[in-house]
Amino acid sequence: MAKRDTPLLDELEKGPWPSFVTDLKRQAEKKPECWDILGQLELSYHDRITHWKHGGIVGVFGYGGGIVGRYSDLPKEFPGVAHFHTIRVNQPSSKFYNTAKLRALCDLWEKHGSGMTNFHGSTGDLILLGTTTDHLEPLFYELTHELHQDLGGSGSNLRSPACCIGKARCEWSCFDTQAACHGLTMHYQDELHRPAFPYKFKFKFSGCPNDCVAALARSDFAVIGTWKDDIRIDQAAVQSYIKGEFPSNGGAHSGRDWGPFDIQKEVIGLCPTECMWMEGDELKIDTSECTRCMHCINVMPRALRPGVETGATVNVGAKAPILEGAQFATLTIPFIKVDPESEFEELIEQIEKIWDWWMEIGKNRERVGETIQRVGLPTFMKIMELEPIPQMVREPRSNPYIFWQEDEVPGGFERDVREFRKKHAQ
Amino acid sequence: MALSTEDLKLAIIEKATKSPKPQLYIKDFYKCDPDSKPRVIKNVANELVREGELMFWSSGSTTMYARPDRIKNEETREDAEEHKDD
Ligand code: SF4
Ligand code: SF4
Repeated sequence: MAKRDTPLLDELEKGPWPSFVTDLKRQAEKKPECWDILGQLELSYHDRITHWKHGGIVGVFGYGGGIVGRYSDLPKEFPGVAHFHTIRVNQPSSKFYNTAKLRALCDLWEKHGSGMTNFHGSTGDLILLGTTTDHLEPLFYELTHELHQDLGGSGSNLRSPACCIGKARCEWSCFDTQAACHGLTMHYQDELHRPAFPYKFKFKFSGCPNDCVAALARSDFAVIGTWKDDIRIDQAAVQSYIKGEFPSNGGAHSGRDWGPFDIQKEVIGLCPTECMWMEGDELKIDTSECTRCMHCINVMPRALRPGVETGATVNVGAKAPILEGAQFATLTIPFIKVDPESEFEELIEQIEKIWDWWMEIGKNRERVGETIQRVGLPTFMKIMELEPIPQMVREPRSNPYIFWQEDEVPGGFERDVREFRKKHAQ
Repeated sequence: MALSTEDLKLAIIEKATKSPKPQLYIKDFYKCDPDSKPRVIKNVANELVREGELMFWSSGSTTMYARPDRIKNEETREDAEEHKDD
């Protein structure tokens, strides 16, 4: 494959940041097909349209996901990328891996593919970019048997579950996000590797409402840590913050002089539910009004900690803008135990309630959030066997009618016409 | 009453063979037996893939099923083009 002239792409090398164009040129010395990536991309910049096609029957035996067929729509002009399939490798929970593992993965990919990677894809997978169909089975064998890693999800499968760093490093984690992520990955191997649903389905796990994996915006089933009892307060440490002995936000804003710390302005005044106040030297919080937004804890981590009665909130139905616009997940279960001892049976029960319903009712290529939008939240709450709570009400009612269900009306909807006619002329 | 696994397999193969479209969504097979649960149908369709009677066709964002002789490799579909997310 010949070297390509890429005047438009070369512009991208001129900025202050590392450029993928430079990376590709370097890689092209070892893997000449990378010249064809550059050549095709240059043409796309010129034509202002992609020259990739995707989709096909590529895969490894027994798996219905993890590999996405990609092809050039100009295979004669760019033979190096005529077939250029993408592999998704399921990431370890919290993306913990050592450098030896990374080297082994890179070596495997130099052997079987273009050597180009994308760490990490939006579902979290390690993405290996560009190989041909004949390499797929050998690559899969070595990945699973030698590196002991697996492919991730794609297509209408459960996608690779993802979690925040959780209890491994973060004192705020209200449940073991890695255990939940790994536990459900193992429990749902079939759904992860073989299509099961009308469309994709994603789980994500964040240990606290800071939601570092953005589960609320990106997953069909977002499990976000929370607590039931009071925020734990160390009053002496509160005083140390007030006196300026501890930097606020763990020192995260220390690059500039923001003036002396003002607990009223920076904490109490910014509490979204106005449930904090000072009583003399004591900081008080009305737990019944606290929405667990994490703001006060983030600002004064040495003084405030989440409570001890911990679990998670389940939010259902986030998605990116494909059919309808983007949407956040809707709060569905305010508090649920997330317990490795019970092998997460509480979560599994809720997940399967959703799946059984959505597999039947969901239209092709309709995310569960769109199905909920279509049938309405009240219907979904019935499926979930949950009572609605005020947080689910989006706006004051504008529909003057009240529709009763038959079981809510004494005597139901059945009536005896003859009895009725005795009192009402025709 | 729900069909037996063997009868369900035959009904799915027939549907995949005769339908005007070569690629079918899993939901298209639900009609093969309204009495079988979607999960049962999914498991049987996936078993047919293992047996070589069906194969997966994936756009990357959605996955469909097809009879191997009705589909050629590198085939792309219009709706695959519509759905370029991951
Ligand atoms: S989501 Fe919360 S628990 Fe998880 S890493 Fe972020 S701050 Fe820590
Ligand atoms: S967590 Fe948020 S809502 Fe709760 S007390 Fe702190 S600032 Fe207020």
